[in-house]
Amino acid sequence: MRRDSLLALPLVGYLALFLVYPTLYAVKLAFTDTIAGSFPSLQNFRTLAGDALFWAAVGGNLVLPVLTVGLELASGLALALLLAARLPGRRLLRAAIVVPFALPEIVFLTIMRHILAPRGYANGALAAAGFEPVGWLLPGRWTTYLTVVVVDAWHTTPVVFLMLLAALSALPEEVGEAARVDGARGVRRFIHITLPLLAPAILAALMLRGLDALRVFATPLVLTGVEGVPVVSTYAYHQWSDYGNDGAAAAAASVLALLSVVLAVPLLRRRRAA
Amino acid sequence: MLAAGCGGGQELTLAVAVLPSELPVYRAAVADFERASGRHVVVVPQQYADIRRALAAERAARRGTLDLVELDVYSLAAAARDVAVLSRADVADLLDELDPAAVRAGTVDGLRFLPHRVSWQALIYDHAVLGNPPATWDELLAVARSHPGKIGFKGARYEGLTCDVLPFVWAAGGRGDVLDDAGAIAAFRLFAALAPYLHPESATMKEPAIAEAMARGELVLHLNWPFVMSLYASQGLSPDPIRSAPLPRGPAGRATVLGGGYLALPANAPHREEALALARHLLGRDAQERFARELGWFSARRDVAVEAGGAALGGFAAMRDVVRPRPERADYPLISRQWQEAFRAVAFSRTDPEAALRAAAARLASERH
Repeated sequence: MRRDSLLALPLVGYLALFLVYPTLYAVKLAFTDTIAGSFPSLQNFRTLAGDALFWAAVGGNLVLPVLTVGLELASGLALALLLAARLPGRRLLRAAIVVPFALPEIVFLTIMRHILAPRGYANGALAAAGFEPVGWLLPGRWTTYLTVVVVDAWHTTPVVFLMLLAALSALPEEVGEAARVDGARGVRRFIHITLPLLAPAILAALMLRGLDALRVFATPLVLTGVEGVPVVSTYAYHQWSDYGNDGAAAAAASVLALLSVVLAVPLLRRRRAA
Repeated sequence: MLAAGCGGGQELTLAVAVLPSELPVYRAAVADFERASGRHVVVVPQQYADIRRALAAERAARRGTLDLVELDVYSLAAAARDVAVLSRADVADLLDELDPAAVRAGTVDGLRFLPHRVSWQALIYDHAVLGNPPATWDELLAVARSHPGKIGFKGARYEGLTCDVLPFVWAAGGRGDVLDDAGAIAAFRLFAALAPYLHPESATMKEPAIAEAMARGELVLHLNWPFVMSLYASQGLSPDPIRSAPLPRGPAGRATVLGGGYLALPANAPHREEALALARHLLGRDAQERFARELGWFSARRDVAVEAGGAALGGFAAMRDVVRPRPERADYPLISRQWQEAFRAVAFSRTDPEAALRAAAARLASERH
């Protein structure tokens, strides 16, 4: 065995102990009937299939990441373009944009929950302006999905913003100059020059946030509980914590892992092609 | 694995679900035992779910480090095979002092669990808005009609919802383990009548969320456990405006669900005799009075009164004689889930009460098979 391979052994051991073993154990648990104690068994997956909340969670896991990442990319790109320009006070603005990400997630979400509660600050402000209160977090409503999307995007847009700002700063100035000399300005310059040059960074941001968004957990759970905007991770948590059903929780987590892999493959292929 | 192990002879390991703020008082009570016995006790504060999993892991490993554990009353049946059966003769003097209903809840194929602390729900209400709390179902309905959107139930799919449902089923004469008897139907008719007036977030509410909503003034009443009163007191909201009251009286009287923590000796406890002595100390009058006085816990000992919390805890004290354990059956978790589904169908999908209960009973029968 080569000496540099030996140096990798501690890392391999760490990964085997803390990643591979728990993953294999979770998969085994998913295929174990915890009541009868039999293995292999599809009982946990039958439990999932017969639960309407699980299917709502799968739907939520498909819709929520698409909307959230789409919003993050749009707002992150807009903010990066705005703050790449030499605006007065741009350092302060950049810091302000990063604040939600700098806050611990649970603190940020608890603050948001208090703001968006039926008698929270948001509805207080609306009432003061003479408007009707809005049910920001009422279970099962489209406004609640929208609220979760916006709050989650607000919290994580700084990641996309910083990636795209760094990429914008690294764009060769002579290309922009050449485009300007050739008469490309405004939207045309953005579409035909800036956007293609930013494509690798956008794809990287899409991959990073896309995969991360599939694991969305705290935002829907803290804002709306398990049933408000269900996703697979909160469903797994619900089975584990509310029903003590480790097997069904492991089965749901396995479905989420499978979903992540299936959706990640095209993104990885695209990234390799790019 | 939570164990702070002690293969050696001098240490006992006790896993209990105490809050960090409760630990100093609890530790002081344990210190009395240490002085008297010469044994050092490692107190491991953990959540009930973690204790349950550690216990199961130790049984699977056929060796253990935990000497004494505290378990949630809800999980006793599931944890029964992981703990030792106690000899009634060994604790006969203790049993004489404990509430028989609480002891019965700890008896699962033999006496296995001893009530460490008991708890039950009462009505939490806004005294400033309501003045007098509703004392009957009719008055409850009248309050709901005059305060639409301000009645709260813990409507998420979890055991807490069953704890909100069962008192009404019992108060109407229902058994609690039969989903479609006359008492259940009467209780669910009340739920159907209350449904239009429930807080709009009821379907996702659990204890913390419903307590927060009450603190924000979004609710005029809900059911909850005694811990919320100390929370409200710390926020300056209790005893005014938020107080506790007995649950409204139904056609067959009043009832509330027994909750709390029970002590047990793990099947593989390394120091069984000493652990039993520690349990006896913790359930003794001195320790229980200290817990009641300094932590506000309710004791299952009949010679330790519910700490007189005045207007704040008065509702809980008034419910003491009508506390009932959940149905003592191995399939209780299945029944509990169907109570939850039936309530949600009636309250949030506006299903006819009898149809919802019949459907729940059919699902239960199917699951049992």
